[in-house]
Amino acid sequence: MASRTTDRRAKIEAAAPRSRGGANKIVVATVVAVLAIAAIVAGVIIADQNKKSDLAKGGSSLPAGASAMGVGLVANTSAPANVPTVDLWADLQCPACKQFEDAFGNQINEMAQNNEIKLVVHVLSFLDKNLGNDSSNRSANAAFCAADQDAFLTYFRGVYAIQPEQEGTGYTDAQLRQVAEASGINGNGLDTWQKCYDAREHNQYVESVQTQSAKDGINSTPTIKIDGKPLQLQGLTPQSLTDQVKAATR
Amino acid sequence: MSLVSERPRSEEPGLLRRPRTLDAIGLVARLALGGVMLVAGLLKVARPEVSARAVQAYQLLPFDLATYVGYGLPILEVVLGALLVLGLFTRASAAVSGVLLVAFIIGIASAWARGLSIDCGCFGEGGTIDPSRTRYLEEILRDVGLVLCAAWLVIRPRTAYSLERTLFA
Repeated sequence: MASRTTDRRAKIEAAAPRSRGGANKIVVATVVAVLAIAAIVAGVIIADQNKKSDLAKGGSSLPAGASAMGVGLVANTSAPANVPTVDLWADLQCPACKQFEDAFGNQINEMAQNNEIKLVVHVLSFLDKNLGNDSSNRSANAAFCAADQDAFLTYFRGVYAIQPEQEGTGYTDAQLRQVAEASGINGNGLDTWQKCYDAREHNQYVESVQTQSAKDGINSTPTIKIDGKPLQLQGLTPQSLTDQVKAATR
Repeated sequence: MSLVSERPRSEEPGLLRRPRTLDAIGLVARLALGGVMLVAGLLKVARPEVSARAVQAYQLLPFDLATYVGYGLPILEVVLGALLVLGLFTRASAAVSGVLLVAFIIGIASAWARGLSIDCGCFGEGGTIDPSRTRYLEEILRDVGLVLCAAWLVIRPRTAYSLERTLFA
């Protein structure tokens, strides 16, 4: 009898997991779970704080042609009410935007000059985060400072004219000043432009346009809408663009 | 002599059912799932705003929630990927990864069905792309494969060369 009991006990002991030598699974699991949650919460908070500090940088004044935070800048404020609104979302570092500018920039510029369209430009700056620089933000600030000197569209197009071959090379401060000069900003105007640019007077507007565009589902550039209707860029020709603008004119 | 022949040959499990083979299959599933999760997470973790935009582009979650999900998801992927590659808490990590992957499949299928043309943002980038460049079927099939890996590990979490086997011996 006694020997059968000890036998059974020995068997039970042999079958039971040995706790000695191995780590306590519950303790390790708790530590790993707590660390993982802490890492995620900390990561989200840090990213959120960085974003908020980006949004609060620089000045909060609106450039000439922009009626409120988040809305695009009207390139030709004298446009009559019956012409279609052409909204353009573009990042100054985006190569596809340069291609569009090269192909249709003159035509759209002419339409705006002749008040055949109301041209609204939303200058985006999201590529900075993809490319790891700040050239979209700085060039957008520079373009809006040019808007105060009545040279927004010239400046905007002038930046595309100097866009580097290699995406991500970006623009230097000196290059952005040269674009201002090439856009006909000089004398006191150039001093004011430089002051505006150095202080990033319109930076909060730049950020607000980026945020609003993302909320509106614009997450690639260039995006063009005629009276709110997305323009198909594939197969677009100067003639088909003219036709679509005419069709939208009341 | 007689001792050897007494053991019937049929009791020996087939090659594909031997624990050692199953452990090896588990190892492959663990490294495939964990490797993809880890790489996907690492490619996005340093650029939370790009990740946030990729989630926003699905237009499924409210904007602010999508932003926070975008910030947090890469970190979760890194954690799950690391645990799986190490072979620590394999069953739990595989279960959470599987749930995430099913959510990704639903998201991609929904974007496809709604006619959006976006990159899945699985390995960074994301956002709207040219309709000719969308790869929804490919993305879904890849995720289905990974779900199968996760399912294997949930059902049979024991794998070769896992840290949990050494650590909790």
